[in-house]
Amino acid sequence: MTAVIEVAGLTRHYGKVHAVEDVTFEVEENTICGLLGRNGAGKTTLMRLLTGQAFASAGQIRVFGESPVENALVLSRTCFIRETQVYPDSFRGKHALRAAERLFPNWDADYAAQLATEFNLPLDRRIKKMSRGQRSAVGAIIGLAARAELTFFDEPYAGLDAVARELFYSHLLEDYSKHPRTIVLSTHLIDEAAKLLEHVIVIDGGRVIINDNSDALRGTAVTLVGAKSAVDTFAVGREVLGTDVLGGISSVTVAGLSPADKAAAAAAGLEVAPVSLQQLIVSRTRGTVQPQEALS
Amino acid sequence: MTAVAPTHSFTRTHRAPVHRIGATVRIHVANPWTTLISPWLILLVVFGLNFAIWHLVLMAAGDRGVEADAFHYNGGVSWIVFYMVVVAVQAMNQTFSFVVGLGATRRDYFVGTSALFAGLALMYGIGVSVLAGVERATSGWGVNGWFFAPGPFATMPLWEVAVTYTLVLLFMFFVGSGVAAVFVRWGATGILTFFASVAVLLLATLWAITQADAWASVGHFFTARSPLELALLSLPLSLVGGLVGYGLMRRATPKG
Amino acid sequence: MDEGRPIFVQIAEQLESQIIDGSMPPESQVPSINELAAFHRINPATALKGVNMLVEAGILYKRRGIGMFVAEGARERLIAARRDAFSDQYVRPLVAHANAIGITPTQLAAMIRKEAGS
Repeated sequence: MTAVIEVAGLTRHYGKVHAVEDVTFEVEENTICGLLGRNGAGKTTLMRLLTGQAFASAGQIRVFGESPVENALVLSRTCFIRETQVYPDSFRGKHALRAAERLFPNWDADYAAQLATEFNLPLDRRIKKMSRGQRSAVGAIIGLAARAELTFFDEPYAGLDAVARELFYSHLLEDYSKHPRTIVLSTHLIDEAAKLLEHVIVIDGGRVIINDNSDALRGTAVTLVGAKSAVDTFAVGREVLGTDVLGGISSVTVAGLSPADKAAAAAAGLEVAPVSLQQLIVSRTRGTVQPQEALS
Repeated sequence: MTAVAPTHSFTRTHRAPVHRIGATVRIHVANPWTTLISPWLILLVVFGLNFAIWHLVLMAAGDRGVEADAFHYNGGVSWIVFYMVVVAVQAMNQTFSFVVGLGATRRDYFVGTSALFAGLALMYGIGVSVLAGVERATSGWGVNGWFFAPGPFATMPLWEVAVTYTLVLLFMFFVGSGVAAVFVRWGATGILTFFASVAVLLLATLWAITQADAWASVGHFFTARSPLELALLSLPLSLVGGLVGYGLMRRATPKG
Repeated sequence: MDEGRPIFVQIAEQLESQIIDGSMPPESQVPSINELAAFHRINPATALKGVNMLVEAGILYKRRGIGMFVAEGARERLIAARRDAFSDQYVRPLVAHANAIGITPTQLAAMIRKEAGS
């Protein structure tokens, strides 16, 4: 499989703040890759670096085989929709869509119009006067209808209610199936997006701590619940991600259990509960202090 | 740090880069108010005010009348000239983060924006000279009032008026875009530093001239040259302003 | 969709159940990858993994350009496999639970017979 994004030793410092630190990974062509992590972990900075909008302090970036900085060849095949998208003050919804039409070679105007209807977007209203959800919808529509070969969505649903988010996911999936492309989706609503993600990269404190296929990642951890002594015996020598104790009952989240181990735990009378992707990532990222996401 | 060798080459041959230059221009004028409409409105309003004032003065003067060149020297048209700085700053500020944020290169944005400024300078330059022509044909709007081509401009051929205005407007645009570039690159702190530095430089220059007792020569420098010559001198400055603006922009990060 | 097992495994199991209960007879066409992905709201790659698992096991076969179809004898093979796993999957936990509350194997057998008879 070809890698659309190749990053090696990528680092971005803002003075003392290490927003991105020695990051190395690849994103395969035509996959949906999740870029997950806490607020301020470095997801947005990373995406800005990948789209040539911010400049690296060190390391290498290759998008479509070349550096993306000031590279019209690469950037015309890319679309970056961010959480707080900026629009000219005078722009109405329709101006934003028309501008996008001129900026993206694969733009589908009919699809954009259809999406605007489905998201209930008032195209004649000034974007400044739109609600947060409507603003996000503008960005989401641009990201979807641009059909860029490499599309970045950075928390595209600020203010979108659950219904609108479901709409976004189903359109994303449907359009991705019909027009395969590479999508990098950053979100902190992990469980909602989990089923869409083929690959997962987790950033914590500016570093990559998880880089794995999501199916492989699921089921790498379980929560054992039962009498404290029994649970503790089982947890000896294993990687413990989290512990909760109430009276004599202990709930321990453990990583790296094989199916045989799980069966043994069940036979020992422990409850073996599954751990969702979100719980797994939360347990691996809680407790660390994030570098401030400095916007230069 | 390991070097990254590309796992394969993405062939360039069938993929032509999309240059977003035309798109940039169209985005600037998508809502034409700032760039295309408001300058005309300002011009008309200022002119209208002057026109009204002339009539009031004439009414007040009554039978005594006024001197022949009472309304010859009018600085009102400079409103629109300096307003172009505002237009430039607004245009760049509004659209830089949007256009570069959606994936245009800074180079394409700069070329498109410069093309826009050149086009606007030409449009307004020609427009003002046309109005100056009307002014002359009506003998100063019937009241010997010279607004669009006042003072030294009154005797210039219209083409010279057009060229002079175009060059001056171009200069204003690039000054404005230079200021906007400082803002886009360094934000509010940058602007404050920039203006503080300009103020210091200006004071230093004024002090130096006063020290050298050179005010007469400075004055002579300007009065000895026709408006066209002075405008032509501004051309290299416009170029420098543009290049500096581009240089700043190349390291700027779009907001948002 | 439960969190404990990989999604592609659950996709495969759902298709298997449909084959076993007869709603997808031999030589019938299985929904396309995109249809499965859209229906379950999952990534198409995951759906593909599940389907490929069944192709490798000989339960489904691919007709190039047309789609995936249920193989001959798939139902029988699946039933045989499930029978083999039945004891581990259902009987062992049943016996363990019964034991925990003092139900003897004889009592358990009687309960089963009663339940099956009704």
